[in-house]
Amino acid sequence: MTAFLASRRLRRRASLAVASTVTLVALVGTLFPLFWLFVISTKLPRDAFKTPPDLLYVPDFSKYLSIWQTAGFGRAFVSSVIVVLLGVLIALAVATPAAYAIVRLRVRGGRYLRLWLLLAYATPEFLFVIPMYVLYQQAGLYDTQVGLAFIYQVFAVPFAVWLVQAFFAELPHELGDAARVDGASELQTLLRVYLPLAAPGLAATAILVGINMWNEVTIALALTFDQGRTVTVAVAGFRGYAAIRWQEMTAAAVVAVIPMVIFAGLAQRYIVKGLTFGAVK
Amino acid sequence: MTAAAVRRRGRTDRGGRFIVPLLVVMGLTSIYPSLFSLYMSFYDWNWGERFNFVGLANYLELLGSERFRTGLLNTFVFTISAVTIELLLGLGIALAVHRLGWGAGMVRTLLLVPLMVSGIIVSMIWKIMLDPTLGIVGYAAGLLGLPRLGFLGDPAMAMASIVMIDTWWQTAFVFIVLSAGLRALPEEPFEAAEVDGASAWQRFRYITLPLLRPVVLVVLLFRTIDCMKVFAIIFGTTGGGPLTTTESVQVQAYRIAFKQLNMSESMTMMVIFAVIVLGVVLVYQRLGAARELVR
Repeated sequence: MTAFLASRRLRRRASLAVASTVTLVALVGTLFPLFWLFVISTKLPRDAFKTPPDLLYVPDFSKYLSIWQTAGFGRAFVSSVIVVLLGVLIALAVATPAAYAIVRLRVRGGRYLRLWLLLAYATPEFLFVIPMYVLYQQAGLYDTQVGLAFIYQVFAVPFAVWLVQAFFAELPHELGDAARVDGASELQTLLRVYLPLAAPGLAATAILVGINMWNEVTIALALTFDQGRTVTVAVAGFRGYAAIRWQEMTAAAVVAVIPMVIFAGLAQRYIVKGLTFGAVK
Repeated sequence: MTAAAVRRRGRTDRGGRFIVPLLVVMGLTSIYPSLFSLYMSFYDWNWGERFNFVGLANYLELLGSERFRTGLLNTFVFTISAVTIELLLGLGIALAVHRLGWGAGMVRTLLLVPLMVSGIIVSMIWKIMLDPTLGIVGYAAGLLGLPRLGFLGDPAMAMASIVMIDTWWQTAFVFIVLSAGLRALPEEPFEAAEVDGASAWQRFRYITLPLLRPVVLVVLLFRTIDCMKVFAIIFGTTGGGPLTTTESVQVQAYRIAFKQLNMSESMTMMVIFAVIVLGVVLVYQRLGAARELVR
């Protein structure tokens, strides 16, 4: 019996050791490339790719200031902010009533509606981007923030519907029924009962949708050129004609990543819920 | 008509109003351009040069095109490898962090960070790290006595490197969802199994895995969709090369539309590919994935 218990304790200790090792390796593997991105952004071009790399060096942060004046990076940053704000606003305005109808009311053909959302989300971008490239040029929406924010709805609306519906589904059904007994219309119930109670979930939805839009590359690359260029496309633009300006490019990348990490941190508690779309209760 | 039926009907009509904005926006962004692509696939249209009705000629040409077949094959090889590796790795890390207990919250937060990084920035990071002569990975491999590897520049290694990059980027998604799934598991079956003397492997195989099935399906569905659409991490690193070894369908469509201005060929290509992707999604849906999304 004691031998059995001892071997069991040993096995537990071994499993903890394995778990710790796996976690440690995963952490280092995940974080080192990001750390390296930062390191390259603070090294002068002649030192950046030295092998072996200098472990101790005087970091040069000058590019974090100068990038704002080069290659339209500052303008692209502002452009991205506009696209994200506008895009998130449209997505929430469209998805919230739809999610309410799906969770609380019966919608004719609702099953097909939801299948459509899944298929629209899954559609490879260039099926709709190439025609949009043509149509937007005619409509004057090519290379504009409005045009980009609008086409982003094709993935943002399904995503937002799934998130909001997961948050709405958590609220007790009796709330809506009570409001109806009091004579409230469905719109009033949505605005006065569901929206305030699901506010944190809606905020998390806005953040996740916003992060997706901020990071989007495929569509922005095809539908913008100059005025509407977003921050991710601008980062790629530091490749220049003659040589890649690594230090500027990496500094710009760090500047583009940090706000997203901060936002994700703010919504962290809800992100897991969001990413599982309510598949995990 | 019964009172209940009247009430149901009333509610149905009220529900309709709430989805009107969605129908308009999704109709304009999803249905309309897709139909435009379908329509144009029956024309021979090179921007600024020619525009003729050609019937099914584009389809016949593409189905006989070796380059398109290579693109499809590359996309499938990438998707199957990346999804498999990410699922196994994500599950392994989720189990490890679950076992850890202490500090798991902090670990989860840190592991989530790559998901917040744009694909174009991910490519940049790995282009720097995997550079055959100047990259830190090659240097570290040299210290360990391994030979100098070409990574993204080597036709034999380029696809494996792209899979590796995607693994770094997206395993966190698998990890975070499975991690939530593990934490939501009921405790009773595990206690009962322990009393019955089930080994750790038996508990994993016969309790954990079956209970995790719905969550695993959601993960597989979303990773498969994303991988089939792969563009940014290839565009930003190899651009489809060397030769055509990493050219996915979407990278091909981009080249044909925006470099060669052959609009109709790229649209035909996307129509065929979209049918394939949506077919895969429907198979997943039949298997019970996305039950929360499509009831």
